[in-house]
Amino acid sequence: MKAITCASGVELLADYLEGALSADVSAALEAHVAGCPRCVAFVASYRDTPRILREATAATLPAHVEASLKAFLRDRTTAFKFS
Amino acid sequence: MSTAVPAAEPSDEWLAAQAAAGDASAFEVIVGRYQQRVFRLACRLTSETDAPDVLQETFLLVYRHLPSFRGESRFSTWLYRIANNAALMHRRARARRPAESLEVFLPRFDAQGMLAATPAELQVAACAEELLDRAFLAEKAREVLARLPDLYRDAFVLRDLEEMSTADVARALGVEPATVRQRVHRARLMMRGYLSDLAGVKP
Repeated sequence: MKAITCASGVELLADYLEGALSADVSAALEAHVAGCPRCVAFVASYRDTPRILREATAATLPAHVEASLKAFLRDRTTAFKFS
Repeated sequence: MSTAVPAAEPSDEWLAAQAAAGDASAFEVIVGRYQQRVFRLACRLTSETDAPDVLQETFLLVYRHLPSFRGESRFSTWLYRIANNAALMHRRARARRPAESLEVFLPRFDAQGMLAATPAELQVAACAEELLDRAFLAEKAREVLARLPDLYRDAFVLRDLEEMSTADVARALGVEPATVRQRVHRARLMMRGYLSDLAGVKP
Protein backbone atom coordinates (compact mmCIF):
# COMPACT_ATOMS: atom_id res chain seq x y z
CA MET A 1 0.00 0.00 0.00
CA LYS A 2 1.20 3.49 -0.90
CA ALA A 3 2.39 5.56 2.06
CA ILE A 4 -0.16 8.02 3.43
CA THR A 5 0.60 11.73 3.12
CA CYS A 6 -1.31 14.62 4.68
CA ALA A 7 -3.05 15.14 1.32
CA SER A 8 -4.15 11.52 0.83
CA GLY A 9 -4.97 11.20 4.53
CA VAL A 10 -7.27 14.23 4.53
CA GLU A 11 -9.29 12.65 1.73
CA LEU A 12 -9.90 9.58 3.90
CA LEU A 13 -11.12 11.44 6.99
CA ALA A 14 -14.88 11.24 6.53
CA ASP A 15 -14.74 7.55 5.68
CA TYR A 16 -12.39 6.94 8.60
CA LEU A 17 -14.65 8.69 11.12
CA GLU A 18 -17.61 6.58 9.99
CA GLY A 19 -15.70 3.31 10.07
CA ALA A 20 -15.98 2.91 6.31
CA LEU A 21 -12.28 2.16 5.72
CA SER A 22 -10.66 -1.26 5.72
CA ALA A 23 -8.65 -2.12 8.81
CA ASP A 24 -5.28 -1.80 7.07
CA VAL A 25 -6.05 1.61 5.57
CA SER A 26 -7.39 2.82 8.94
CA ALA A 27 -4.22 1.63 10.64
CA ALA A 28 -2.03 3.34 8.03
CA LEU A 29 -3.95 6.60 8.46
CA GLU A 30 -3.68 6.42 12.26
CA ALA A 31 0.06 5.77 11.96
CA HIS A 32 0.51 8.83 9.74
CA VAL A 33 -1.53 11.11 12.03
CA ALA A 34 0.30 9.86 15.13
CA GLY A 35 3.57 11.12 13.66
CA CYS A 36 2.26 14.31 12.07
CA PRO A 37 1.51 17.34 14.30
CA ARG A 38 -0.06 19.12 11.32
CA CYS A 39 -2.58 16.33 10.82
CA VAL A 40 -3.32 16.17 14.56
CA ALA A 41 -4.25 19.87 14.44
CA PHE A 42 -6.12 19.48 11.18
CA VAL A 43 -8.18 16.53 12.41
CA ALA A 44 -9.09 18.40 15.61
CA SER A 45 -10.41 21.38 13.68
CA TYR A 46 -12.11 19.14 11.08
CA ARG A 47 -13.97 17.32 13.84
CA ASP A 48 -15.01 20.55 15.60
CA THR A 49 -16.30 22.25 12.46
CA PRO A 50 -19.77 20.60 12.35
CA ARG A 51 -20.48 21.43 16.00
CA ILE A 52 -19.43 25.07 15.59
CA LEU A 53 -21.66 25.50 12.54
CA ARG A 54 -24.49 23.60 14.23
CA GLU A 55 -24.46 25.85 17.28
CA ALA A 56 -24.05 29.02 15.23
CA THR A 57 -27.07 28.23 13.01
CA ALA A 58 -29.50 26.83 15.59
CA ALA A 59 -32.60 28.92 14.89
CA THR A 60 -35.59 28.87 17.26
CA LEU A 61 -39.13 28.91 15.92
CA PRO A 62 -40.58 32.37 16.73
CA ALA A 63 -44.07 32.41 18.30
CA HIS A 64 -45.54 34.44 15.43
CA VAL A 65 -44.25 31.93 12.85
CA GLU A 66 -45.77 29.08 14.85
CA ALA A 67 -49.09 30.96 14.99
CA SER A 68 -48.97 31.55 11.22
CA LEU A 69 -48.31 27.86 10.63
CA LYS A 70 -51.35 26.89 12.70
CA ALA A 71 -53.56 29.40 10.90
CA PHE A 72 -52.26 28.22 7.53
CA LEU A 73 -52.94 24.55 8.30
CA ARG A 74 -56.35 25.35 9.76
CA ASP A 75 -57.28 27.01 6.45
CA ARG A 76 -55.80 24.37 4.18
CA THR A 77 -56.62 21.09 5.89
CA THR A 78 -59.83 19.58 7.11
CA ALA A 79 -58.15 17.61 9.83
CA PHE A 80 -56.46 20.48 11.57
CA LYS A 81 -58.47 21.79 14.50
CA PHE A 82 -55.95 23.97 16.30
CA SER A 83 -57.71 26.63 18.27
CA MET B 1 -54.65 -0.42 44.12
CA SER B 2 -53.90 0.67 40.63
CA THR B 3 -50.56 2.17 39.82
CA ALA B 4 -50.50 5.06 37.42
CA VAL B 5 -48.15 4.13 34.63
CA PRO B 6 -47.44 7.00 32.28
CA ALA B 7 -48.49 6.09 28.79
CA ALA B 8 -45.57 5.69 26.42
CA GLU B 9 -45.16 8.43 23.85
CA PRO B 10 -46.90 7.30 20.68
CA SER B 11 -44.45 6.61 17.86
CA ASP B 12 -44.31 8.86 14.80
CA GLU B 13 -45.34 5.94 12.63
CA TRP B 14 -48.43 5.23 14.76
CA LEU B 15 -49.39 8.92 14.70
CA ALA B 16 -48.90 9.04 10.94
CA ALA B 17 -51.26 6.09 10.48
CA GLN B 18 -53.85 7.71 12.77
CA ALA B 19 -53.55 11.05 10.99
CA ALA B 20 -53.85 9.39 7.58
CA ALA B 21 -57.08 7.79 8.83
CA GLY B 22 -58.46 11.23 9.65
CA ASP B 23 -57.47 11.69 13.29
CA ALA B 24 -56.96 15.47 13.53
CA SER B 25 -55.30 15.39 16.92
CA ALA B 26 -52.66 12.92 15.66
CA PHE B 27 -51.65 15.34 12.91
CA GLU B 28 -51.47 18.15 15.46
CA VAL B 29 -49.11 16.07 17.59
CA ILE B 30 -46.91 15.43 14.56
CA VAL B 31 -46.78 19.15 13.79
CA GLY B 32 -46.01 19.97 17.41
CA ARG B 33 -43.27 17.38 17.48
CA TYR B 34 -41.51 18.51 14.30
CA GLN B 35 -42.24 22.22 13.76
CA GLN B 36 -39.13 23.40 15.60
CA ARG B 37 -36.86 20.97 13.77
CA VAL B 38 -38.36 21.72 10.36
CA PHE B 39 -38.04 25.47 10.97
CA ARG B 40 -34.40 25.12 11.98
CA LEU B 41 -33.72 22.95 8.94
CA ALA B 42 -35.50 25.43 6.66
CA CYS B 43 -33.38 28.29 8.03
CA ARG B 44 -30.25 26.31 7.29
CA LEU B 45 -31.33 25.28 3.79
CA THR B 46 -32.83 28.62 2.74
CA SER B 47 -32.88 31.72 4.93
CA GLU B 48 -34.76 33.06 7.94
CA THR B 49 -36.87 35.05 5.49
CA ASP B 50 -37.94 31.99 3.49
CA ALA B 51 -38.09 29.51 6.36
CA PRO B 52 -41.69 30.30 7.45
CA ASP B 53 -42.96 29.54 3.93
CA VAL B 54 -40.92 26.35 3.71
CA LEU B 55 -42.30 25.33 7.10
CA GLN B 56 -45.90 25.80 5.96
CA GLU B 57 -45.38 24.04 2.65
CA THR B 58 -43.64 21.12 4.33
CA PHE B 59 -46.51 20.39 6.70
CA LEU B 60 -49.13 20.88 4.00
CA LEU B 61 -47.26 18.35 1.82
CA VAL B 62 -46.88 16.00 4.78
CA TYR B 63 -50.63 16.22 5.39
CA ARG B 64 -51.49 15.57 1.76
CA HIS B 65 -49.06 12.70 1.36
CA LEU B 66 -49.68 10.97 4.69
CA PRO B 67 -51.86 8.29 3.05
CA SER B 68 -48.88 7.34 0.85
CA PHE B 69 -46.46 6.97 3.78
CA ARG B 70 -45.80 3.24 3.85
CA GLY B 71 -43.33 3.03 6.66
CA GLU B 72 -40.51 1.89 4.36
CA SER B 73 -38.25 4.47 5.98
CA ARG B 74 -38.58 6.10 9.37
CA PHE B 75 -41.25 8.79 9.46
CA SER B 76 -38.66 11.43 10.35
CA THR B 77 -36.57 10.53 7.28
CA TRP B 78 -39.66 10.74 5.08
CA LEU B 79 -40.57 14.14 6.58
CA TYR B 80 -37.03 15.47 6.16
CA ARG B 81 -37.09 14.45 2.51
CA ILE B 82 -40.28 16.47 2.03
CA ALA B 83 -38.80 19.46 3.87
CA ASN B 84 -35.63 19.22 1.83
CA ASN B 85 -37.61 19.25 -1.42
CA ALA B 86 -39.74 22.18 -0.24
CA ALA B 87 -36.55 24.12 0.52
CA LEU B 88 -35.13 23.19 -2.87
CA MET B 89 -38.23 24.56 -4.63
CA HIS B 90 -37.80 27.83 -2.74
CA ARG B 91 -34.17 28.14 -3.68
CA ARG B 92 -35.02 27.54 -7.33
CA ALA B 93 -37.76 30.14 -7.22
CA ARG B 94 -35.31 32.75 -5.99
CA ALA B 95 -33.12 34.34 -8.61
CA ARG B 96 -29.83 33.71 -6.89
CA ARG B 97 -26.68 35.42 -7.93
CA PRO B 98 -23.93 32.90 -8.64
CA ALA B 99 -22.30 31.95 -5.36
CA GLU B 100 -18.69 32.93 -4.97
CA SER B 101 -16.63 29.75 -4.91
CA LEU B 102 -15.54 28.35 -1.57
CA GLU B 103 -12.68 26.36 -3.13
CA VAL B 104 -10.28 28.96 -1.78
CA PHE B 105 -10.96 27.59 1.71
CA LEU B 106 -9.83 24.04 0.93
CA PRO B 107 -6.62 22.97 2.69
CA ARG B 108 -3.34 23.61 0.88
CA PHE B 109 -0.52 21.08 0.50
CA ASP B 110 3.10 21.35 -0.60
CA ALA B 111 4.63 19.35 -3.46
CA GLN B 112 5.21 16.38 -1.13
CA GLY B 113 1.57 16.34 -0.06
CA MET B 114 2.26 17.85 3.37
CA LEU B 115 -0.22 20.33 4.84
CA ALA B 116 1.18 23.78 4.09
CA ALA B 117 0.06 25.57 7.28
CA THR B 118 1.68 25.11 10.69
CA PRO B 119 -0.04 23.06 13.43
CA ALA B 120 -0.94 26.26 15.29
CA GLU B 121 -2.51 27.73 12.16
CA LEU B 122 -4.33 24.48 11.38
CA GLN B 123 -5.85 24.46 14.86
CA VAL B 124 -7.38 27.93 14.60
CA ALA B 125 -10.71 26.89 13.02
CA ALA B 126 -11.49 24.93 16.19
CA CYS B 127 -11.12 28.13 18.22
CA ALA B 128 -13.53 30.21 16.10
CA GLU B 129 -16.04 30.44 18.93
CA GLU B 130 -13.49 31.80 21.39
CA LEU B 131 -12.00 34.21 18.87
CA LEU B 132 -15.17 35.61 17.36
CA ASP B 133 -18.21 37.47 18.61
CA ARG B 134 -21.17 35.10 18.88
CA ALA B 135 -23.60 37.18 16.81
CA PHE B 136 -20.96 37.82 14.17
CA LEU B 137 -20.22 34.09 13.92
CA ALA B 138 -23.94 33.28 13.64
CA GLU B 139 -24.36 35.81 10.82
CA LYS B 140 -21.31 34.58 8.94
CA ALA B 141 -22.29 30.92 9.42
CA ARG B 142 -25.66 31.57 7.78
CA GLU B 143 -23.99 33.45 4.95
CA VAL B 144 -21.47 30.74 4.22
CA LEU B 145 -24.09 27.97 4.32
CA ALA B 146 -25.98 29.87 1.62
CA ARG B 147 -22.79 29.99 -0.44
CA LEU B 148 -22.24 26.24 -0.39
CA PRO B 149 -23.19 24.50 -3.63
CA ASP B 150 -26.64 22.92 -3.19
CA LEU B 151 -25.45 19.31 -3.32
CA TYR B 152 -22.92 19.90 -0.56
CA ARG B 153 -25.22 22.02 1.58
CA ASP B 154 -28.06 19.50 1.60
CA ALA B 155 -25.78 16.65 2.65
CA PHE B 156 -23.86 18.75 5.20
CA VAL B 157 -26.98 20.24 6.77
CA LEU B 158 -28.76 16.92 7.16
CA ARG B 159 -25.73 14.93 8.28
CA ASP B 160 -23.74 17.37 10.38
CA LEU B 161 -26.18 20.06 11.46
CA GLU B 162 -29.35 17.97 11.87
CA GLU B 163 -27.22 14.99 12.97
CA MET B 164 -29.02 12.39 10.88
CA SER B 165 -27.17 9.15 10.17
CA THR B 166 -25.42 8.83 6.82
CA ALA B 167 -27.82 6.02 5.90
CA ASP B 168 -30.85 8.23 6.60
CA VAL B 169 -29.37 11.17 4.69
CA ALA B 170 -28.72 8.85 1.75
CA ARG B 171 -32.40 7.78 1.83
CA ALA B 172 -33.63 11.36 2.19
CA LEU B 173 -31.53 12.56 -0.75
CA GLY B 174 -31.86 9.44 -2.87
CA VAL B 175 -28.10 8.84 -3.21
CA GLU B 176 -25.59 6.24 -2.02
CA PRO B 177 -24.07 6.54 1.48
CA ALA B 178 -20.60 6.88 -0.09
CA THR B 179 -21.85 9.90 -2.04
CA VAL B 180 -23.18 11.45 1.18
CA ARG B 181 -19.81 10.95 2.88
CA GLN B 182 -17.97 12.48 -0.07
CA ARG B 183 -20.24 15.55 -0.21
CA VAL B 184 -20.22 16.03 3.56
CA HIS B 185 -16.43 15.76 3.57
CA ARG B 186 -16.04 18.39 0.87
CA ALA B 187 -18.41 20.71 2.73
CA ARG B 188 -16.56 20.18 6.02
CA LEU B 189 -13.27 21.07 4.36
CA MET B 190 -14.69 24.30 2.99
CA MET B 191 -16.48 25.19 6.24
CA ARG B 192 -13.37 24.44 8.26
CA GLY B 193 -11.25 26.65 6.01
CA TYR B 194 -13.87 29.38 6.15
CA LEU B 195 -13.87 29.36 9.97
CA SER B 196 -10.10 29.54 9.93
CA ASP B 197 -10.15 32.49 7.55
CA LEU B 198 -12.82 34.19 9.65
CA ALA B 199 -10.62 33.79 12.71
CA GLY B 200 -7.78 35.48 10.85
CA VAL B 201 -5.67 32.60 9.51
CA LYS B 202 -5.54 31.50 5.87
CA PRO B 203 -6.54 27.82 5.75
